[in-house]
Amino acid sequence: MNLLLNFFMKFFVPSANAAEHVGFFEAIKPPVDISTNGHLIDSLFNLTTNLILFFFFFVCLGIFGFSYLYNKKRHPKPFYDHGTSRKQLALVAGIGALVFIMVDMQITTISNHDFVNHFLNYPKDTEKVVKVEVLAQQWAWNFRYPGKDGIFNTEDDVVTLNDLRVPVNTKIVFQVSSKDVIHALFFPNARIKVDAMPGRISRLWYELTKTGQYPIACAEMCGTFHYRMQAKLTVYPEAEYDAWIAEMEERAIHVTEPDKPELFWGWQWEPNGITTLSKN
Amino acid sequence: MALAEARNNIMQSKEGDKVISSVAMVVALISFGMLFLTLMMSFALYRFTAPVWPPAGMEKPSLLIPSISTFLIILSSLAYFSFEKKTAKGLIDKQGLMITLILGSSFMVSQAIFWNQLKSHGIFVSSGIFASVMYAFTWIHAAHIVMALVLLVWLYRKLSSPDKMTAVLVSSAGKFWHFLGIVWLVMFVTIFVL
Amino acid sequence: MAFFEQDIHDAPTTFLSKYVFSYDHKVIAKQFLWYGIAFLGVGGMMAIMIRWTLAFPGEPFPVIGDLLFPNSGGAVPPDTYAMLFTLHGTIMIFFAITPILIGAFGNFCIPLMIGARDMVFPTLNMLSFWLAVLSAVLLLASLFTPLGGAAGGWTSYPTLSTLIGSAGVGQTLWCLSLFVLGVSSTMGAVNYIATIITLRAPGMGYFDMPLTVWGLWLTAVLNAIFLPVLGAGLLLLTFDRVFGTTFFLAGAAATSGSGDPVLFQHVFWIFGHPEVYILILPAWGVVSDLLSFFARKPAFGAKATALAMTSITILSTVVYGHHMYSTQMSPLLTQSFMMLTMVISIPSAVFFANWLGTLWKGSIRFQTPMLFSLGVVFVFGLGGLTGLYLATVSTDLYLHDTYFVVGHFHYTMAASVLLGGFAGTYYWFPKMYGRMMNERLGKIHFWISMVGLNGIFMGMMIIGHAGMHRRIYNPFVYEHLQNLIPLNRFITYSALVMGAGQLFFVYNFIYSMYKGPIATQNPWEVGTLEWTVPSPAPHYNFKEIPVVRCGPHELGNPNLVGKDFQYQTEELVKA
Repeated sequence: MNLLLNFFMKFFVPSANAAEHVGFFEAIKPPVDISTNGHLIDSLFNLTTNLILFFFFFVCLGIFGFSYLYNKKRHPKPFYDHGTSRKQLALVAGIGALVFIMVDMQITTISNHDFVNHFLNYPKDTEKVVKVEVLAQQWAWNFRYPGKDGIFNTEDDVVTLNDLRVPVNTKIVFQVSSKDVIHALFFPNARIKVDAMPGRISRLWYELTKTGQYPIACAEMCGTFHYRMQAKLTVYPEAEYDAWIAEMEERAIHVTEPDKPELFWGWQWEPNGITTLSKN
Repeated sequence: MALAEARNNIMQSKEGDKVISSVAMVVALISFGMLFLTLMMSFALYRFTAPVWPPAGMEKPSLLIPSISTFLIILSSLAYFSFEKKTAKGLIDKQGLMITLILGSSFMVSQAIFWNQLKSHGIFVSSGIFASVMYAFTWIHAAHIVMALVLLVWLYRKLSSPDKMTAVLVSSAGKFWHFLGIVWLVMFVTIFVL
Repeated sequence: MAFFEQDIHDAPTTFLSKYVFSYDHKVIAKQFLWYGIAFLGVGGMMAIMIRWTLAFPGEPFPVIGDLLFPNSGGAVPPDTYAMLFTLHGTIMIFFAITPILIGAFGNFCIPLMIGARDMVFPTLNMLSFWLAVLSAVLLLASLFTPLGGAAGGWTSYPTLSTLIGSAGVGQTLWCLSLFVLGVSSTMGAVNYIATIITLRAPGMGYFDMPLTVWGLWLTAVLNAIFLPVLGAGLLLLTFDRVFGTTFFLAGAAATSGSGDPVLFQHVFWIFGHPEVYILILPAWGVVSDLLSFFARKPAFGAKATALAMTSITILSTVVYGHHMYSTQMSPLLTQSFMMLTMVISIPSAVFFANWLGTLWKGSIRFQTPMLFSLGVVFVFGLGGLTGLYLATVSTDLYLHDTYFVVGHFHYTMAASVLLGGFAGTYYWFPKMYGRMMNERLGKIHFWISMVGLNGIFMGMMIIGHAGMHRRIYNPFVYEHLQNLIPLNRFITYSALVMGAGQLFFVYNFIYSMYKGPIATQNPWEVGTLEWTVPSPAPHYNFKEIPVVRCGPHELGNPNLVGKDFQYQTEELVKA
């Protein structure tokens, strides 16, 4: 199968260069999972796939099997039946119930459990976390670290553009907003995304397990250069991160420009999260 | 046309036509209702998520003009009711329809005065969400009123030569007119009073 | 309930009154069909341009590229790309599928299948078509405005669709165009509902209506209720753009006070989710009927199918939130929407059980309409089941706004509805034009479409799961998507194949209209009311209003002598 598909690809894509010769099943794998919660999504995805294939198999069996068995030649005399007997109704209702219990209830329970216990389970105040404020704009990502004083929107904040660096094995909490249109902060490797909406603050947290460089994308259509709204996620070992942030904080103190109000786009960090920016 | 003949023509309206028109009108009114319901839902959302309403720096316009509008539209609906009743009996009450028309038009005038008043208070269309609600919602309602008035004028001209469809038309147009009155009442209570 | 005597006026004689401003539901149906097919071509061409760009970003579009995009050397520029996918979505949903499934089949089938001479409001019907034309003119005009047409996606979320994100009149015209189309469709819906309630032939109860009519009726109900919701949203958006209101502006963008861009998403999806069912319900109805007609046996559990359709119609109104998980609604809302969405799979499972039950022990004739109907069962199975990934919130966090979503909704909204539309077209063509379409070309068309669309949409789901997000001009600026270049090209080739396959249909359609073999009154040997009148259906359909004495799916009754079906006007034959 793999061979056949590879052959297919090569046949269709003569210009593909050497670097692209990745096996078909290798190429279609989702990006490498780097977060502590990513496997929840992957496993639920796989479970759903298996359940779906199970039921779709029966649908196909019905379509192709009945088409074969009951075509005009093989089965000239149709069975006159309205499918309204009690038995048949019970069968139909049973299939409905079976699908609901076997597939829906199961995946809903798992998903709900994951959602409440993991994705919504934001780190407590007392935990050591890295806090980042994210402001999306057409077409770039602004990241803001609180700096030495630990308070956002002050002069010593560390601000970066399209460059997010975080430590590994530490919980990271984001508060996300947008300057102009709706964007979506998408970490393909952490399997998670959240919309960045003007006038609102949305929240996101994750803990990463692998160091390295990974992409950050904008997932919500945000204008012509939506596709270029790419940022870089660098996951450092803790010591390296500490060194980097210390250096950045030092630099931030020296190069502040308090007379430029547009640099102070941050907001006060509300630990429990607030849904809307204060209106004025 | 002789009165008796007109009466004869009106009373010829068929049961079938009546049922079809009322079914269709009810469906149409549900559609219109959903439009206004969506507006009301939006308003509720703005109203309940705002820390203060009207937002800081805004002042609610006085209730005087909107109250007069309310009064006018209620009167016009009442006038139409009596017109409808007479039509059902086979009488052509051109005067009754004319009163409805005049009251309806004066409702539009009162709306125009209201918009001018808003402007003179410094509340312009572009001055934030409160002004947006005030203007846009009344505009949308007023646009429907204009549509209804055109309908009533057309109906008025139709009254000169009544036929079997007249009673059906009168009752359908009436449903729309009363509906707009109810919508205004809801808007008056929610947007202006509360 | 046909107490209402239906007048017969003389047939129109002039060209204008006969073919252009016609009151005849059959002519209006054909007008909608042509309108829809024309836009299907336009939307399909746009799809191919989109696919070309995704497979070969920056390379000139073959043949017509130089003509269309002279400034970029024939390649689709990024801003045009945004315009293309916006209009592709808009056109396919509102200007292709809606007119074909609802405008054409609705107008053609409802009166004929319920035994009426016309719609209850012929004038409203005509007005509905001409408003749709006006709306198309507005949409096409937006392409020629200085800054081009709308480019904010077919969902047009503010604040991208306000002046902040898209200046120029293109977006405003888009809003107005859809508003006008909404008015047109609502008019149609009022007409359909009133017609079905009041003009059913004597003896025809609701469960004696063919399931096609059921589907169209429920569609009309959803249209009448939810199009105005979109209308209100579009009006407010237009006000924001034209008059400077701030309904959908927020935060730094608004000068004072504050609106809420997310409100538009709520409004849009309150309409948008029912819209999905608006599109698919007629197809379900057509397929449920055709499976029975071509399996030569009664529809399995027809009443259950009709009730399942009804319950989906009701459920569709309360699940819209699953489109908005990533906006972080309150967790309680998220959980409720997830649960409600899941309930939809019960009636869907009932459909599949009934469809397969209809095939069971039938005597299946594989004529073109049947092939397309079986195709619908297959692709809707895939499309429906893959919806589960997007209904569960945790997987949706990853898959939302990726190509997985695109693949999923194309399976349901494009593949199923399109195949259903083709099934209907092949099936009712004899009644529309009095001639048969070519079977062999039809079968070629079916197999090419089937292979093509599965290649496209399955491919889309795979690349979506591999992390490719939506609406990007050049996916390959992302390193993690580089591996997907071959697959993207494969999808594009599939799209080209499928596009080419449609030429068979166009040729078949036009050729058969003039040169096809003359159709008999009842070429498919089916008993519903439209086959009791000559082909093509005569002026005012029925000389005498028929009296209905049995259900629509009475086929294969062993007590029948000489034929295996009976007309609805005949008393049910018993042993």
